[in-house]
Amino acid sequence: MRNLANWLILGLTLTFLIGPFLIIIFAGASAGQSLAFPPDGLSLKWYAKVFTVESFRASFMLSMFLAVFGTLTALILGIPAAYALNRYKLPGDETIRTIVAAPIIVPGIIVGLALLRYLVVPLDFTVTMALFMAHTALVLPYAVRVVSSSLHNLRADMEEAAVLLGCSRLQAFMKVVLPNIRGGVLAAFILGFVTSFNQVPVSLFLSGPGVRTLPIDMLAYMEITYDPSVAALSAMLAFMSLAIVFAAERLLGFSRYV
Amino acid sequence: MFLNTREGLALALPAAFFSLLLFLVPVGILLSEAFQSDTGWTLSGYTDFFAKPLNQVVFFRTLKLGVLVAGTAAVIGYAAAFCIVNLGPTARGRVFGLVVLPLMISPVARTYAWIVILGRTGIVNDAIVGLGLSETPIRLLFTETAVFLGLLQLFMPLMIISLVSAMENIPRDVIPAARVLGASWLQVFVRVILPLTKEGLVIGGTLVFTGALTAYITPAILGGSKVLMLETLLYQRVNVANDFVSASVIAMILMVMSFSANLLLKRIASARR
Repeated sequence: MRNLANWLILGLTLTFLIGPFLIIIFAGASAGQSLAFPPDGLSLKWYAKVFTVESFRASFMLSMFLAVFGTLTALILGIPAAYALNRYKLPGDETIRTIVAAPIIVPGIIVGLALLRYLVVPLDFTVTMALFMAHTALVLPYAVRVVSSSLHNLRADMEEAAVLLGCSRLQAFMKVVLPNIRGGVLAAFILGFVTSFNQVPVSLFLSGPGVRTLPIDMLAYMEITYDPSVAALSAMLAFMSLAIVFAAERLLGFSRYV
Repeated sequence: MFLNTREGLALALPAAFFSLLLFLVPVGILLSEAFQSDTGWTLSGYTDFFAKPLNQVVFFRTLKLGVLVAGTAAVIGYAAAFCIVNLGPTARGRVFGLVVLPLMISPVARTYAWIVILGRTGIVNDAIVGLGLSETPIRLLFTETAVFLGLLQLFMPLMIISLVSAMENIPRDVIPAARVLGASWLQVFVRVILPLTKEGLVIGGTLVFTGALTAYITPAILGGSKVLMLETLLYQRVNVANDFVSASVIAMILMVMSFSANLLLKRIASARR
């Protein structure tokens, strides 16, 4: 009896959380002209149509670019910072930690507006450049935190031993530390990628002619038409995210790091 | 632990300067904008903002929805987390995975699903008309209920995750012991489970409340201009009216609300024994 009640509660909760996503998959596979569930017959035509929409292609590339290079830049900045915060006694390290973590706390829409007003307009930054910086800053806290936690688990005497045996500090880092934290680095990359790719509020104000991230483009498309292609696209994107996360989980036990 | 401070700073400062210059400084200038006028410092941006009835409605609606979403998520979250913790190890891992899964999916996709469910020709309306409860479809989209459901679905996983990890730390015998000694389930919850999981509740509550306050997509898609929230109001003020003073005021309100929610919940958590 207890067991039954247990599963009933879980079943209802999971239906609420996952159900809408299943509906999206089928709504996108409709043979009809409008968004409906259950769909009017099944077909993959809307899934195919997504690839023919010019703006989706452009915005997908932009979102990919931001997610990949923004996250890489965040890692290039974040790994040394995480290393320094873990291994050195720094004056004001709490302040540094707070500053680096700040982008998580500030609502994205404010960041986007602030960058538009004070970087793009007066300093003549391109929108793409501002988007790149916003996405990098947004991912930076995750990079520092995830890499920090895997550095925390790595004993510092290993690299001290490497230095005693004749490595330079840089060599010790490259040969001893980096190989040992690569799981954490990859986990940070994936978390950053998914966060950046799905990000909406930051990019809301940062868009110009022909420069739109994919989620913003989807919102704009939805305002014009309610055809099922956005549902199809949403479903495909969801599968992309899930495939990445599952591959990571299989390869290195992603969830240990997050 | 290395003692070469200069080397350490050289490694840490690029990231800090990046965040500071490209993030905090622009945001700081934006927040200060409402306090500036031609003649000096002023609070008129704030008084003007709250003088408008629409802005008051939007402010209280945002607050109300944030509290409702966080509260409902906590109630369902406790039930779900309790069930998850009671599962065997394999089932627990799988169910937990299913709870986390929506977080990896684009919020646009997750919100879009509610159009299919709540739209004029959506599932709910089909059922209502089919069962003869109403002759014509009812307007379900662009209502507070739609926004509430969308936000709840979006942020509930965060609450469940926080509560599950808090509940895993409850010693296994404590709850049966309380039961054997005669506590009702309500007493067990209030006097055993709640105190032992309050940190998880604070984390989950802050995440859900802040998330609901600062979500843009859900109120934009499911509420539209009929059910404005602070985020969508901010967007509208800037895009329609170029009104940066209101934008700055709303930005400050959002930040203050998020911070005070966190402080308040921490207070409540530490006040009890």
